[in-house]
Amino acid sequence: MPIQLQVDQLSWSINNTSILKNISFNVNKGEVIGIIGPNGAGKTSLLRCITNQQQNNRAATLSGSIFLNNKKITGYSTKQLAQHFSLVAQKAEAIFSLTVIDIVKMGLLPHKGLFALNDDHDKAQITHALIKVGLAQAKNMTFNQLSGGEQQRVLIARALVQQAKILILDEPTNHLDVYYQHQILDLVQHLNVTVIMTVHDLNLASQYCQRLLLLNQGQLVADGSPVDVLTESQLSSVFKLPCQVEQRATDHDSVSQGPRIFFSLPQKQESTINVGIHNE
Amino acid sequence: MNKVAFTLIALLVLTLVSAIAGLHFGPADLSSNQVVQCVLGNCENQINKMVIEQVRIPRVLVALVAGMGLAIAGAILQNTTRNPLADPYLFGIVSGAGLGATIASLTLGEQSAIALPLAAFLGALFAITIVLFIAKVLQRMEQLLLAGVAVSFMLGSLTQFILYFGEPFATNRVIFWLMGSLSRVEMSNFYVIASVLLVAMITIIALHRHIDALLLGDESAASLGVNVDKLRLLMLGLCAALTATIVAYCGGIGFVGLMIPHVVRQIIGVTTLKLVIGSALIGGSFLIWVDIIARSALANAEIPVGIITSALGSIFFLFIMVRTRSTN
Repeated sequence: MPIQLQVDQLSWSINNTSILKNISFNVNKGEVIGIIGPNGAGKTSLLRCITNQQQNNRAATLSGSIFLNNKKITGYSTKQLAQHFSLVAQKAEAIFSLTVIDIVKMGLLPHKGLFALNDDHDKAQITHALIKVGLAQAKNMTFNQLSGGEQQRVLIARALVQQAKILILDEPTNHLDVYYQHQILDLVQHLNVTVIMTVHDLNLASQYCQRLLLLNQGQLVADGSPVDVLTESQLSSVFKLPCQVEQRATDHDSVSQGPRIFFSLPQKQESTINVGIHNE
Repeated sequence: MNKVAFTLIALLVLTLVSAIAGLHFGPADLSSNQVVQCVLGNCENQINKMVIEQVRIPRVLVALVAGMGLAIAGAILQNTTRNPLADPYLFGIVSGAGLGATIASLTLGEQSAIALPLAAFLGALFAITIVLFIAKVLQRMEQLLLAGVAVSFMLGSLTQFILYFGEPFATNRVIFWLMGSLSRVEMSNFYVIASVLLVAMITIIALHRHIDALLLGDESAASLGVNVDKLRLLMLGLCAALTATIVAYCGGIGFVGLMIPHVVRQIIGVTTLKLVIGSALIGGSFLIWVDIIARSALANAEIPVGIITSALGSIFFLFIMVRTRSTN
């Protein structure tokens, strides 16, 4: 698979506080990559650096390089970047009574000239995106009236209309119940675009990502398949909790093919806290 | 025909009807037939011709473009700052204009009538520059409104200080000017306001998708390729220029920019293009009718339009605050 994005020795600090330290990795076209790690590890910061959202932050210092299709990311205009990256934030708060279709239409912005009107192709694209996320019937509903899962799907529909080559999702399953967590990640997995997302739930990351990047204190600790990254020693060391990893053989009937992870509090070994999700 | 198109056509008809109604009212007793004949260029006599062409037509046209401009400025400020209570007058623009007008009135004396609009315009731009500078230093758009209120009080107190020691006639002139009135407008005022309005409309139509993107937050807009800081600065500057031009000729006509966009959102939609076109049509009609009330409510006297709009607007402001709180 061709390399689409290349992060080379990226370091980033704000007011001399180091947030990301010497991070390097490549992203191949069509990969679904999960960025995992504890709170404050630098996951969201890494996403912001990749999409060049930090360029106006005067307090920030960035070193290293990020290449998009072999060209430095700083060589792209904001409009060009919007044609390559679409960002689905953790949570969006719509002011006023924005409808679903108002928000999905926003995805046309990077491809439209200043006075261009929406044509039939645009309308077909919007309808197609709404059908794909299962919200065609809800297009005239107000965004703020939707559930968290539906709101995420609206933002994904907008990202589809944006036609970006790389979809960036920041904690897409936050605030969602188990049903919507799986619904959103299943949708994302089948979009046939490159996906880079931060995920808190390691079992979801294991289940839906082809590759994982494990961050800790701004450093890239591990990069590889879920089987390679989600090991007991690495997770225990990063999350500072005893950890048990259950490897599973690839099974055609099984929804999940990655390892399953269990953490427990060290003081109370007898009361194991299962933060994972049992699929069976 | 869809609902939005139907509503916009209905509003266009309302605007035309309002403009025609505006031509009928005034101290001179002219029948509908005489007004129509004069508009068509067949005036019965020179007096009627003068009343219609030099008094009523300029007044209705200035009311139309001033109402349009104030409503559009309010709509854009509310969308770009994501604040439903934003209004051009809350950004210190009137206080700045008042300070400019005060200085011109007190220093130039009798010649101030000519210089007053220019001084008011410069004062308004001065106020918005301070507000933008504070917002830039704070780097927090949600504090823009608070910065505006603070600047408003600061410039207001400076104006009152100057007026306190000033010559009484000049003081009266400034106080009446600040109340807002369309009684002394001329056709040339219409051309100036209409030109600024046209530039603002073209810019807003060109950037309507960018402004819409801000409705989901700065980060979301930036991910769609919007240069958020530049866009916001451009829109604030545009609204300041539009409001300052209107204030310079018409004085302080407050709260039009706060009220009208909220009405438009209820009946047409919240996205920028619909909002701006709807605000222009309803804002223009609204100010024509307020002006009709201003010159017809009392016999042999005229109420400054700013008093009526502020009375209506302050009640509306409280209504929005209560409604926003109950929605949250």
